[in-house]
Amino acid sequence: MVVSKKNKDEQMRAAINQKLIETGECLKELLRAKLIECGWKDQLKAHCKEVIKEKGLEHVTFDDLVAEITPKGRALVPDSVKKELLQRIRTFLAQHASL
Amino acid sequence: MMQQQCRRDGGRAEARPPTLPSAPGSFVSPHPTVGRQLLKLVPTVQRGPGLWALFLNPLPCCRPLCYEQSERRLHKSLQMKMEEMSLSGLDNSKLEAIAQEIYADLVEDSCLGFCFEVHRAVKCGYFFLDDTDPDSMKDFEIVDQPGLDIFGQVFNQWKSKECVCPNCSRSIAASRFAPHLEKCLGMGRNSSRIANRRIANSNNMNKSESDQEDNDDINDNDWSYGSEKKAKKRKSDKNPNSPRRSKSLKHKNGFSVCTSASNTLPLLFSSSGELSNSDPFKYNNSTGISYETLGPEELRSLLTTQCGVISEHTKKMCTRSLRCPQHTDEQRRAVRIYFLGPSAVLPEVESSLDNDSFDMTDSQALISRLQWDGSSDLSPSDSGSSKTSENQGWGLGTNSSESRKTKKKKSHLSLVGTASGLGSNKKKKPKPPAPPTPSIYDDIN
Repeated sequence: MVVSKKNKDEQMRAAINQKLIETGECLKELLRAKLIECGWKDQLKAHCKEVIKEKGLEHVTFDDLVAEITPKGRALVPDSVKKELLQRIRTFLAQHASL
Repeated sequence: MMQQQCRRDGGRAEARPPTLPSAPGSFVSPHPTVGRQLLKLVPTVQRGPGLWALFLNPLPCCRPLCYEQSERRLHKSLQMKMEEMSLSGLDNSKLEAIAQEIYADLVEDSCLGFCFEVHRAVKCGYFFLDDTDPDSMKDFEIVDQPGLDIFGQVFNQWKSKECVCPNCSRSIAASRFAPHLEKCLGMGRNSSRIANRRIANSNNMNKSESDQEDNDDINDNDWSYGSEKKAKKRKSDKNPNSPRRSKSLKHKNGFSVCTSASNTLPLLFSSSGELSNSDPFKYNNSTGISYETLGPEELRSLLTTQCGVISEHTKKMCTRSLRCPQHTDEQRRAVRIYFLGPSAVLPEVESSLDNDSFDMTDSQALISRLQWDGSSDLSPSDSGSSKTSENQGWGLGTNSSESRKTKKKKSHLSLVGTASGLGSNKKKKPKPPAPPTPSIYDDIN
């Protein structure tokens, strides 16, 4: 049952994504722009610099970076941006209720 | 026939469905058996969201009579599937969960994208390129103190500063330093114009004067500070150290006339006429005469033609007409009494015959006696005298425009004008000088 549910969710998500692309919703672009605007990118960049200085410029690996940066990135997103994006997603889901 | 056919197909295969008109864009399984087999492999497809899954379900009926029925059933099942898949069917919490998931996905996407950029920058070596060394960072840090701008500079710091002019060794305010230097050094547009004019004037002067004076006592003339502060455009200015100026200014009999270089209005005052021979519409101001150097005869003649009231600021006699509005008759009487004794009377009382007999030679003689001093000591507060000089120009300019009889050069026109002006001024006592103003501009034009 769990497997089926997972499959179902995945399929649903796939469908939603499909719908997203079809309708031309650019939530991704919007989020990126908002994050740059609010300074999230600069903050994260500063954090990156620290991490890299710590690890040494030569020895930084991609996985290291991802492991360090992603949680910080998720935490640094400001509330306003998060709320607005969630609102947009809900609106989109409501609009396209019947796939 | 069809039925028989169906039965003949065997138990395994179910009735073959009649060929359905395929909806545009929909995927129809070519063979029900294939569809069924697929279904077996993916048992959950029945409830899945994909539209195409619908068509994998074999239709129960194959008989042509049941065509309509089968269609109806298909339609119903389609609808059911749609409803199942519809998000509105889901409750709000599930919707919210989906929204959160989508959001999390988007954020993770952005983070990952960022990681890619950083990693590439590190490996390509340009990650730390936009950094500056900490010393420079401290130097150019943004300043956030009251009274300073972000560079740390004090606002209008240079307003009160004074610079010493290397040429004349005077202390000049910083904001006025550049124009002063321009005049002082004799460079710049205005200076060359003035110099040319002065050359022309002094040429004329040299024709009328025979002897040349030496310049020694002219060199310590003071700059007219007040004129610099005037808001109006200045058309000419005098270089106090110019030898030409001193020559033209020094007078045989010791008259000295102060000038202030200001005023945009063209003045055709007597002394200015001399100096602006080539350009009568350039202004020159005379504000007063220093009476110490005048002899009694000269004083008397002066006082008959000019206001003569001694200005408190400059201690010089007013050279405006006898009707100059800046001074009252009482003042004029007082000055005459002071200079010429209690018997002195104001020239207005005298008969106008004298004035009528003015002609070119007389006026020329009178004017030639007047000479420019190097500059005047006009204080900035002495706006009165500047106004005076303005009005002077108006009053006298008017009269000059009236007397266009002369066929000679414009320079002489100014002389004549002045002469007749002086005379006519007395005649037209009740008339104020203001109304004839428009005619000045006619003259100019």
